[in-house]
Amino acid sequence: MRLPRFFGKKRGHRRTGSQAWGSFGEAVFYAALVAAGLSFAGLLLSGAVSIGPESAVPAWSHGWLWVFVLLIPGALLAFGLAGVVRTVRAWGKSEERRAAAEGLSTLLESMGQTADASPVHPSVPACDDLVNSPGTILRYRLPIESPESWALVGMGLFAALWNAVLVVLAVSAGIDIASGRVEWVLFAVLVPFASVGVAGIVLFVRRLVLTTAVGTTQLEISDHPLMPGNRYDVLLAQGGSGTVTSLVLTLEVEEMASFRQGTDTRTERVIVWRDVVKEWTNLQITPGVRFETHVTVAIPTGVMHSFVSEHNAVRWRIVVRGQPDRWPGFVRAFPVVVYPATSAEPAAGRHAVGVDEVSG
Amino acid sequence: MISIDEGNGATRSPTPRIGMQFDHKLRQYAPADDLVVRYDVEGVTPASVRALERTVLWYTEGKGEEDLGVHHFERLDDAARVAEALPAGTVTVRLPASPLSYEGVIVKIRWCVRIRLFFMNGRDFVSEHVFEVGDIAPARGVVERLQ
Repeated sequence: MRLPRFFGKKRGHRRTGSQAWGSFGEAVFYAALVAAGLSFAGLLLSGAVSIGPESAVPAWSHGWLWVFVLLIPGALLAFGLAGVVRTVRAWGKSEERRAAAEGLSTLLESMGQTADASPVHPSVPACDDLVNSPGTILRYRLPIESPESWALVGMGLFAALWNAVLVVLAVSAGIDIASGRVEWVLFAVLVPFASVGVAGIVLFVRRLVLTTAVGTTQLEISDHPLMPGNRYDVLLAQGGSGTVTSLVLTLEVEEMASFRQGTDTRTERVIVWRDVVKEWTNLQITPGVRFETHVTVAIPTGVMHSFVSEHNAVRWRIVVRGQPDRWPGFVRAFPVVVYPATSAEPAAGRHAVGVDEVSG
Repeated sequence: MISIDEGNGATRSPTPRIGMQFDHKLRQYAPADDLVVRYDVEGVTPASVRALERTVLWYTEGKGEEDLGVHHFERLDDAARVAEALPAGTVTVRLPASPLSYEGVIVKIRWCVRIRLFFMNGRDFVSEHVFEVGDIAPARGVVERLQ
């Protein structure tokens, strides 16, 4: 039996060091959590550790307090037991065997109609959410991908919660003043709190104005999902008022990869292909009358299809970029799903490699 | 062939050589094609192998964490079946419609056949042979980085 090594190296596709010892260490860690949870719960239940003097809390709350106190060892036990079970289930199994087992459970889930991916095209995202809204002129109205709206909601929630706390503190300070007492510490806290509260409201209102000032953008498409080599009729409708100095409709492919960096999970997104479908300049949009136009979007042959896995994705989208005369520019993206071509002629090989690896 | 273990040199085990012959020229396959691969294992005796796994799978490479999708998995762990599968065998499977092999900028998708041998002494050996599904043009580069 080999002794464990505490430092491993990455050798191409593989890492040195024993996978078995790694799993053993993981199991010991989770078992220690279970032991800590059991010990803590035992001490609490045996009375060796108390939750405080009897007089400190009302008698009626003792039962509930015990439930809350037992949550701590309970959480340790649950986390530890889940880890032990997971480690034992994966013990001695290759990554292919584990992935095959996960694939089976995914298949069973998909039989319950909860799959994220298309059943005919594995790893291609399902487009059910993209075809459930009929268009007014063309077949489907595409939903907008709107991170701006979520930012607006987040800023609104922050401003509301912060200012609610501020109101509570201000009322408390007012009661103190009315009763003839002045809590200087409370006033010292109120001043920065009020500054942040006002700034939150100002930023929220500014964002709200910027988001709503430019009119809505609507996109309709003649068919969905899209296939390489096909052309699709697209209706672009832009609302608002005033002059839009430039409006550009593009078709884009985005790669997205999420990875761990230290304790953080980061996501990187890059546009790897962009085709300008059409560009308009100096549009005069009248309030109540949308700018509407038809364009044709062509999906080239030999391009990557939409793909999604746990940490990686290839996404297609139609993007509208506008630059109004008096407002900041806007970008509005409409995700679409591109299926792989039904038949493909193999081309010259790019990869034909074999890799051998030993582990133990 | 004998190799020295990288751990402490105490354990010596045979290092197999696994060769694969794909039934398509240049290892190029269209989606939904039948894949037939013949493998030959040299340098081990069936008696030293506890189990054998034959897998057809895709995995991602690039900036993100590796994702893995198993399309075909077969584990042979009784002596009679291991003896049948060594020193040579065949993996036959119909490929799916997707995902297709892709050479992106931060996302790459590779298809491969893996043969993994589990030895009686607890060690294992894996041999991986990449092939292509579909004919997707590689990404040319970064047009724009998004925040």
